[in-house]
This record gives sequence, C-alpha cells and structure tokens, in this order.
Amino acid sequence: MAEYIGSLEETKEYAPRFKIFYFVIVVAFLLFGSRLWYLQIIQGEELRRFSEKNRIKQSKISAPRGLILDRSGKVLIENLPGFEATLSPQYIDDLNSMAQKVGSILSIEPERIANKVTRSRKQNGPFALIRLKENLSREEVFRLKRIRLDTPGLEIRESIVRHYPLQESAAQLLGYVGEISKRQLPLWNKKFEGRLLFEQGDIVGKTGLEEALEGDIRGIDGTSFIQVDAHGRETISQASNTNIYGEQFKEQEPIHGNNAVLTIDRDLQEAAFNAFKTQNRIGALLAMKTNGEVLAWVSAPSYNPNDFATGISPQALSKIVTDPFKPLRNKVIQDHASPGSIFKPFVALAALQEKVITPTTIVHAPGVYYFGRRPYHDSIRGGHGYVTVYDALERSSNVFFFKMGIQLGVDRMFNYIFPMGIGQKTGIELPREVSGLMPNSEWKKREKGEEWQPGENLSTAIGQGFVNVTPIQMAIAYNSIATEGKVYRPFVIRKVIDQDGKVLKEHFPQLLRDVTQTQTTGIKIDPSTFKVVKEGLRRVANGDRGTAKWWKIPGIQMAGKTGTAQVMGFSADQIYVKCDSRPMHMRHHGWFVAYAPAENPEITVAVLTEHSCHGNTGSAPIVRDVIQSYFQKYHPEMIEEGIKKAAQQRKAPVKAPTPDVPDAQSED
Amino acid sequence: MNDFVKLEEKPFFRKLDYNFIIVILALNVIGLINLYSATHGPNATEVESLFISQIVWLLAGWTIFFFVTLVDYMFFSRMAILIYALNLLAIIYVTFFGKVALGAQRWIDLGFFRYQPSETMKLGLIIMLAKILSNRSPSGQGMGFRELFVPLLMVIIPFGFVVEQPDLGTAMMLSLIGGSLLFFCKVRRSIIIGALVIMGLAVPIAWEYGLRDYQKNRILTFVSPANDPRGSGYNSIQSRIAVGSGQFIGKGFRQGTQSQLEFLPERHTDFIFSVLSEEHGFVGGILTIGLFGFLFGLALRTAANARDKFGVLVTAGVTAYVFWHMFINIGMVIGLLPIVGVPLPLLSYGGSSMLTTMLALGVVSSVSYRRYLF
Repeated sequence: MAEYIGSLEETKEYAPRFKIFYFVIVVAFLLFGSRLWYLQIIQGEELRRFSEKNRIKQSKISAPRGLILDRSGKVLIENLPGFEATLSPQYIDDLNSMAQKVGSILSIEPERIANKVTRSRKQNGPFALIRLKENLSREEVFRLKRIRLDTPGLEIRESIVRHYPLQESAAQLLGYVGEISKRQLPLWNKKFEGRLLFEQGDIVGKTGLEEALEGDIRGIDGTSFIQVDAHGRETISQASNTNIYGEQFKEQEPIHGNNAVLTIDRDLQEAAFNAFKTQNRIGALLAMKTNGEVLAWVSAPSYNPNDFATGISPQALSKIVTDPFKPLRNKVIQDHASPGSIFKPFVALAALQEKVITPTTIVHAPGVYYFGRRPYHDSIRGGHGYVTVYDALERSSNVFFFKMGIQLGVDRMFNYIFPMGIGQKTGIELPREVSGLMPNSEWKKREKGEEWQPGENLSTAIGQGFVNVTPIQMAIAYNSIATEGKVYRPFVIRKVIDQDGKVLKEHFPQLLRDVTQTQTTGIKIDPSTFKVVKEGLRRVANGDRGTAKWWKIPGIQMAGKTGTAQVMGFSADQIYVKCDSRPMHMRHHGWFVAYAPAENPEITVAVLTEHSCHGNTGSAPIVRDVIQSYFQKYHPEMIEEGIKKAAQQRKAPVKAPTPDVPDAQSED
Repeated sequence: MNDFVKLEEKPFFRKLDYNFIIVILALNVIGLINLYSATHGPNATEVESLFISQIVWLLAGWTIFFFVTLVDYMFFSRMAILIYALNLLAIIYVTFFGKVALGAQRWIDLGFFRYQPSETMKLGLIIMLAKILSNRSPSGQGMGFRELFVPLLMVIIPFGFVVEQPDLGTAMMLSLIGGSLLFFCKVRRSIIIGALVIMGLAVPIAWEYGLRDYQKNRILTFVSPANDPRGSGYNSIQSRIAVGSGQFIGKGFRQGTQSQLEFLPERHTDFIFSVLSEEHGFVGGILTIGLFGFLFGLALRTAANARDKFGVLVTAGVTAYVFWHMFINIGMVIGLLPIVGVPLPLLSYGGSSMLTTMLALGVVSSVSYRRYLF
C-alpha cells in the first residue's frame, strides 16, 4: 500500500462501521449456505426423486359455455362431452414417426401434423398445447390410447364440444366458436377488462350470437394439478394432488357459463329454413313479432356449424369460403340491396301525408313516362291506365310513383322514410350490422360533391338508385306500417339466466319512435294515412290484380308488397328480356315483405331471395309458409275456421280458385 | 502506508483493481452459461434471441463500466443534486403516465429499451446520500433527528412515489439502501430502536390499508405455499424442488428437468438461481454466493482505502445496493423470503438490471482507481 494517499484521519473514522458490514455479509453467506445444505444435501435425495418421477403440472379445465335456448326453452346450442387429441411439443422426441403413427389413426396426412407442430413451435413456443383433432370417435380414442405410452407428448383429453342441433338452419344467427386469434386476444382482453381474461388457445365465439353473447355465456375456467412423468404423460398415482410436503393442492372447479334465452321460435326457425331449402332459394329472412321480438332468422345458403366445432377440414372450409353465394355472410344484416318496389308504400305515405294526393286522386300511369327527354319505363309495356294510390300499390305501378317522386323531391321523402328505419342500423345485438342508405340532397353533396339531379327523384321513388337496405331494416319499416307508426328496436336475446334459473339480465320490447307523434323534423304521419297504405298492401295479397295474390293462407289475410331489386342496369331494349333466361348472377333479387293478419297484425316477415328474378314467385311463397306455420302453431283455430269457410264457399258454386302459375310479367 | 507521495504516474492498466474485474467477469461467465441453459430448452426456438441480447447488454455494461472508471467520481458528487432531481422527475412521470406492467406503473418505452426510472433512482439516491452524509461525522453518538432530517427526506420522497406505482419491491430496495447508508454513518441507538418499534406497529396497518391483494397473497403464500397453487405458491414449490433436486454436484449443464421442462417459472429472470442450483448443485450455488461475498469484500476494501469521505460512502452504498438485490433474490429462490420481483445482479436476464449494476460497479472501480494520486 505504498502508493496509498488520502486524508486518512477523515476516512479512518468509518473503520468500526465496516466491521458491521463484513459481519452482515458473513452471516448472509452462512445463512444461504446452510439453507442450500438443508435443501440439497439433507432433503436432496427426496427432492431429486420427486423431480424425476412426480411432477405436478398445472392445467386448465375449460369451463362449459352457457346453453342457448329458444323462447319456450328448447335447446338451440348445447354442450356435448367428447374427446380431443392434443400434442405437447416439448415432449416429442421423433416428430416424423409420431406424425406417421398418429396420422394413420386420425386419418390426417403425417406432413400436416409435422407442419402444424413446427409452425406452433415457431409461433407459440415449445410449451403451447396443439389441438390435433377434436370430437374423436370411440374407435379413435381406443386406438390412440394403445399407442399413447410409446408416443411422448400425445394426450387424449376430455373436452366439451359445442353442438348445434339445428345444424345449418340457424348457422349465421347463432354463429360458431373457435380458438381465439392472436389479433383478437389483446382486443378482447381490453374490451372485457376486469371481467374476463382470455388466453391463447381459449375457445371463444367467433360470429353471430356466440360472439355477441361472449360476455354473458362464457364460464370461468378452473385449474387442476396433474402429475406427469419425465415424458409429459399423465401418471395416476396414490397422492395425485399433494406435494412433497404432504400439502394438499386446491383444485379449482370450472364454473359453467350462464344460459341465454332467445326470442327465436325453434319450430318457426326450422320451417323458415326448410322453405328456403325446398324451394331452392338463396337469400335472407327475418320474422318478428310486431313488438320487435325476432322469431326466425335465416341466411341461405348455409353451413353446418358443427363442422367448425369439431375442427373443419381445409377442403370443406375452402368450399364454404369460396362459395359465390357466401354462406358465411349473415345476409339479414350484412347484405345491401336495392329495395325496389317494396319501397313504394313509404313513398305513398309521404305523398298522402304531404297532400300531394288524396286517397281518391286518380293519376294517369302509362307504360312509358318521359322526364325531360329520357323515357322511364313501367314493367308492363301497356302501363296501368288511370289509377288511385290503392291500385298503384296493388299492381305496383312505376309511373304513378315516378310522379309522386317528382312532386315530393328527395328531401321530403327522406324526412318521412328515414325515421321509419330505412338507411340506419336497427340496433340488433348481432355484430357487424351494415347501415344501408337513405339518400337526401345533403348526403349527395357531402359524399359525391354533386347536386341532387331531379331525375334521381324518379329512381328513388321506386326504390332504385342510391337507396340501399338490409332485410332486417325492411322488416322494421313494414312493422311500423303494421303497427301504424311504431318503430321498434328488433331484439333476439330475451334474457340471460344462471344455472339455477335466476334471471340476470332481461330485455323487453323497446319502442324507438312513434311516427304518429311529431318528430324533430316537424313531420308526423296520421293514423288515417297508415290505414290507406295498409289497405293498399292488403290488396297486394288479396286483390284481383294484386302482385302476390297467388299465395293465401286459409283464414288469415296477409298484407305486404313484392319488389324486385335490380342487380345491374340494363339498356331499354333489354329491360323486357326474360329475367329467367339470364345467367344466375345477373338475375334480379326478389323481395316480399308482409305482415299478418292484415287487420290486426301479429307477425312481420321480410324475405329477400337473391337472383330469384321476382318477389312474387321467389319470396312470397316463403313468407306465406312462415306465416302459415306461425298461425298453425299459435292460432290453429283461425286456420281451421278459414278452411271450413272455404269448403262452404266451394259448395255454393261461385268461382273456382285460380291455381294457375302466376304471370311473372305482371310484377315489376 | 509509509510513503504518502509517489511522483511517478502509474499507467491506466496498472491502476485498475484486477481482482474486482475478475470476480465480476467470473459472475458474468456463470450468468451466461446458466442463461444459455435456461433459454435453450429441448425445443426452444424464439428464446434464443434472449441469449444474444444478454451478450449485447453485457458488452454495453462493460463499456459503461470502463467509461465510469475513467470519470473522477467527484463529478457525481458535484452533479448529485441534478442526477437526483432528474431521476425523481422521471419517477413522478412514470407514476402518472408510465406504461403499466403487472398492475404497477414502472417504465418508459424508449423503443429499443424499456427504461425503468426506479432502477437508476437507486443509484441517484446513493450519490445524493453520499454527498449529504460526507458532511456528517460517524464518530461519537451518531446522528440525531436534526442531522437525519434531510437524508431521510431524500429517501422518503422517491419511496412515496414508488409505493404509489405500486412497486413494493423497488420501494423496499430504496429503503434498504438508504437505511444501510444511514446506518453506516451511525445513527443514535435510541433512534434505531424507535424506528424498529414504529415499523413493528406499521406492519399491521400497512397490511390492512396499504397492500394490494396480490401483494398480500404473496406473503400469505410464503407462509403456506399450497394456499395459492395457481400463483406464487406454485412458483415457490417448484423452485424449492429445483434447488433441492440439484443435490451436491447438480444434474449437469442443460440437464435440469425442472428448468428444461417448463416447471420453473421466470427461469431466465427472477428464478435464474434455481436453474443454477438444479444443474450445478450445492457446489455451484456456494461458488456463486462465495463470488458475491468476494465481490462485496473487495468493494468494502475499496471503500476503506478511498481517497475521501464521498468515495467511502458511495462505495458502501453500491455494496449495499448489490448485496440487498442478491440477498432478496436468492432468499426468495431458496424459500427463505416471500416471492418478490427482484432480479439477481449480473446473472438474471435483463438490460435494465445489467446496465445499472455495471454502472454502479463502475463507480466503485472509479473510487478504487483514484486512490492513487498520480
């Protein structure tokens, strides 16, 4: 220490303090040393044995999701016990031979298994469990169990399989479940922060009500402690849940999710889907009670959600995804279409209320109408002659409504029609509803930067041009005619109940607007105006020249309107080319929206059949079937009475009913 | 000690304390070997990058170490108030606007690096206290209330914000470091006894009103690990099994089943010592703790030989800093203390811990370097 220099006097003062520090360090060393001696030398052998043979591994027990029931308690979604095959990548010693063995039993190509394992290792690390196949058959379980001991990493686990007894009948409404995606995981953890915690590999609702109800029907996962040996295989031994100190591990039971009761009627739902299927139609249907309770919800073509629950094969999936008519899409709320003629009653309401016409005004409706120099055609070459508003609705005259459109102008039409629910989201609980569009001059200026053209009033008045709607919007709008002004919010979730039946959440009909009361725009529609339009709609289905007169239900009068939505524009000479002779994707969509009974409505049904050419032949029979099923179930006496009356009428020879096929040309 | 002035100036390399550097290097090597094992399980793929980035942190750490060695530590004394104030501002910032991790607000995202102000605050506190206390004399009865007021305030202000975050591990670390330095400068016996009594009384109150549920849980779990098998109880038990099963010479490099097969949580960070104990047994564990002891001994010798009081105090402070981290971490791993999220200096994976530790040791090296006048 020859080189040492410093104000020794100063620093020397600390000398006694160092002793205490040295002392503390020595004590710590001795403490740790003796503790290590105790653990590693005294308890070492026991702990070594424990670490080699018995390992307690934490594992998650997935909680079953809640059931989904229809309005009378019939099951729409349930849980079935099943088995799934999983792999723990960290235990696999020979990937290729494992893939060969397991693949032959599960009939999956070995390369796919190997790829899956390699990809999961890369993406999720070596410890993430891989689901190989869910819903194993008895045979598969039996054969897997035999090779399990020689196949480290392979496990057969009990699982819960979500089962959809309605199969494809309600696929888009109910949705399906699947593993949470990496992108969804942080989003949902944020959305449900403090209530639910999602982890990689969790099964969650992907679409439809399964998704919308996630926060309500999800259960709380439990934990169990299993012993595994050095190869990751579960071992069954005497004290399976005690540790080396003889302490008991607490298992945590999973908690079953709450059940949801819907407003859906399972019988009606099946009848509605069958109507689409037997008539070989694609499109969408929404049936609701006049207070907004949804009874049936169909989107066709469909798919079987049970395939998704049990792990769908890539071929089957790509077939669904690439189908040009989009089975996965929920057409009730996600497909835009022009309303076509089903828009006319709303224009009639505006024209009557604005005193453009009275119920008795007679308007000349020829086959062609010239606005400026441009001809606007009716669907019937000869036109309809001199008609009142009743006739115009019954026969669906275009020219009559062209004239109304010119007189009203788009902004007055907007003020009446938008509040009835057209061009805005209905607020149904399902995700990804589109809003549709009800244009006005302000909208055009804002979005297109152009002035509203007078000619556009004509196309708007017959539901073409910019107007875009969804089937659910049309159901709500027609329902507001049926109820004479009441705009309801549609809903499908009636209540959420726990496993003991206690009601946790309850939803009731919600009146959004009553348009017979003065709105903020100063507009209201008198009940008498509604009565005129309702009579027109009654004649559509019951009048001699009604466009939907061929479909009747004994004892029940329907009231509604047919419509055709042009998929693409055609030049004047092509307008009269028969729709049915065009290729499928160029054919028009057909609409029929109706309520029944005409006098005192209980149910409203909107149907859009895509590429069916006509509303009366394409959609009206489906609506009729659904309404008939409804009354057969809830008011069979009305139908019986109707049949009796018809029989009496037949005895007295009046006129034979016309069973002939409708003339498609008579509807626009 | 017989020759106060030596005129010949010694070159840089001869003034370095090589024992000190070799001990740190030895701990680095042990740390890397161990981290390699912890991050290279049988099928690990992504974790390999952790090993590479730890090497990068290590190189950065040594750069800082030598840079600080060359800086006269009196620079820190002059800058003490500024360093302390900046750290305090950063702490206040993260308390209210910082990124949330595990329910506590702790860091600022700098893109390539998550800066945790509470880590550097520990060093800021050491420098600040060393500056203030170098005016106090450690002889006589020790400090009374008047002398203690300012230094205590320096501890309590950051402590309050860190508790608010709520990062109890760091808060405890701040009070342990501050307390050690005050104690080093001698405090009146009556005050020490009084402080112990007050702490004894404060524990039940803090339990009732101060602690969050997860914090209470950790302590309850320590008393009876099987009570919370989902959380820290599981960790604690698995760690004890890992350590014990290492026996005398360990299972061998990369042979630790507990660590290789996922049973150990946080293998590469807080529980790195259990990997070491499992794979290298009693021998490896004692060797590592012994190296730490040797490191503290060398640091204290540096303190004893320092040129001035600030040098003594700052070195003693750094020793306390590294010592308490090691003590709490290993104590937790071998089941002597409850689970607290504190890394093991020089061995755990993590840039924040590595850089601040090397910075702190660099200050010690600077003090050692400057015991030579020329």
